[in-house]
Amino acid sequence: MSEKAINEKSRVNLASIRELGIFAAFVIIMVILMILSPNAFARPANLINILKQASINGILATGMMYVIISGGIDLSVGSIVALSGVIAASFAHPGEYPLIVPIVLAIVTGALVGFLNGVGVAYGNIPPFIVTLGTMTIVRGIALIAANGQPVFNVTKEFERLAGGFVFGVIPNLVVYFIVITLILAFILTRTVFGRRVYAIGGNETAAQVSGINVERIKVAVYTLCGFLAGIAGILLASRIISGNPTSGQAYELDAIAAVIIGGVSMSGGAGKWYGTVIGALLIAVISNGLDILNVSSHFQLIIKGLIIIIAVLIDIKGKRKL
Amino acid sequence: MRTRKWITLIVVSLLIVTLLVSCTGTKGTKAEKYGLFMSHMTNAFTIEMSDAVKSKASELGLDLTVYDGGQDPAKQVSQVETAVTQGISCIVIEPASVDGLVPAIESATKAGIPVVVVNQMISKPEVASSFVGVKNVEGGELEMKTAAEAMGGKGNVAFLLGPMGSDAQLGRTEGYYNVLKDYPDIKVVFEQSANWKTDEALTIVENWLQSGTEINAIVANNDGMALGALKAVEDAQLLDKIKVYGLDATPDALAAVKEGKLAATISQSTTEQGKVAMETCYKLVKGEPVEKEIYVQFTLITLENVDDYLK
Repeated sequence: MSEKAINEKSRVNLASIRELGIFAAFVIIMVILMILSPNAFARPANLINILKQASINGILATGMMYVIISGGIDLSVGSIVALSGVIAASFAHPGEYPLIVPIVLAIVTGALVGFLNGVGVAYGNIPPFIVTLGTMTIVRGIALIAANGQPVFNVTKEFERLAGGFVFGVIPNLVVYFIVITLILAFILTRTVFGRRVYAIGGNETAAQVSGINVERIKVAVYTLCGFLAGIAGILLASRIISGNPTSGQAYELDAIAAVIIGGVSMSGGAGKWYGTVIGALLIAVISNGLDILNVSSHFQLIIKGLIIIIAVLIDIKGKRKL
Repeated sequence: MRTRKWITLIVVSLLIVTLLVSCTGTKGTKAEKYGLFMSHMTNAFTIEMSDAVKSKASELGLDLTVYDGGQDPAKQVSQVETAVTQGISCIVIEPASVDGLVPAIESATKAGIPVVVVNQMISKPEVASSFVGVKNVEGGELEMKTAAEAMGGKGNVAFLLGPMGSDAQLGRTEGYYNVLKDYPDIKVVFEQSANWKTDEALTIVENWLQSGTEINAIVANNDGMALGALKAVEDAQLLDKIKVYGLDATPDALAAVKEGKLAATISQSTTEQGKVAMETCYKLVKGEPVEKEIYVQFTLITLENVDDYLK
């Protein structure tokens, strides 16, 4: 019992070191970009724009964070984004169905894929990387078949407003979804038994099993949650580009994983803080935005993004050694 | 141990026998088999292309199999190789790589199987029997010229490019710069790759619009990116100030032209390319003479003529 308490304490310390590092990095990068582009980057309109652009990845990253803390990984979220987007757009043509239909169908689809991932991982005992690599290509295939390889366009104004609308005329709806979803999931992760169990099975699965946690059920729930959020992200992306595009969402899983890792969540599971992931998602959006404004080639952007991921993990490893 | 060896030997020899039997079996049938090898089947363009080839094949009463290369040159190479060993009569290929497919195409033509390369020219055109396509440079020139004239020959333009190094990206962009030589008062203020993707283009253009730099026209290497740009411009309520141009004439782009939002798109006459390619393949099998390079014309589509292209 006392050992567990010590473990928990050291985990807290470890996490705070990591998050401090990422927070410092975030501030430094913001300052650099503000100096390089004082008239464009630092304007409030652009800061809102960055929040908006971080939202979809932020929502995906929150789900990914649960999966990674539980000791897994989910490569299928990008494909789920495409499939749920295609489904949403297909049922959002003017004069066909009420808005609730595309929303529910797309979210259920996402959650279902996540559920199947969870079953494969928990009951099939297949490594998460392999299960979700499989569903990643299967779901992409289904999306392409469903859309006949082409973007599904001609959606209702209401559907467009889901992501395109504003609250109080200034705050994009996307940002509101991002904040609400993040707060709810942060609450579940930190304040509920379920959340603590997610940490427990990621930290030491055998110990969790012995202490009476139904590990399989938690895993299925975690992957279902991740798929559910990817379903929501898919609807929002489809609304944002006013079409369901079966090729969209490619490599989104990597951006989500990157946000989680940059945010200091341990790839081996069991440790990490929700606000780290939020900063991770914001940082990725800030980098793309700042570099786009400065007209830096997208190829250099890839290099910079990669370097930041490696540096984040380096901080992760150094942090571990210290303890 | 010994029995196991015997069993293995028997199984292996049975496998070899079945393999030989099935080989001679396919060689025995004399029906002509045509194959269409697509680089991938994941966008409007590739679907339109394969549909055109298929419809021409059924019009001519030909047995056509369509292979999806999944954007993977290695996969497409093995698909071509397998088809050659199975005794295909003629190959229509939309190559997944300009270099990677050269050896496979060369070995097919050396084996006496005609190969018609469609849309994307390979790096060694001489190894193929014929090429059917458009000159990407001409498409880029037509697009940029349309934009430049609408701008009155002066102002700021931004380019959204396809994945760097792809044939279409290089050719179309070269076309832009060819035209710009005649318009010294047009300045390129941004140039970024959005990898043919709508969502990437949307984000990039949103960021450009935040930069405060004046943009008069956004010229995109394809329609998918043009539509992303269009959404960003529309969201920023700048439709009257910034004109967006695309290329490919995809159904959603045509709809946007019809709505008066997308200034223009360029058709690379995909259906025409596919039909001509299939026809050329048929002629080659019949032993009729064909041109080594067959070019199909681009068509400019604006609000004025868009109705002719909406199906």
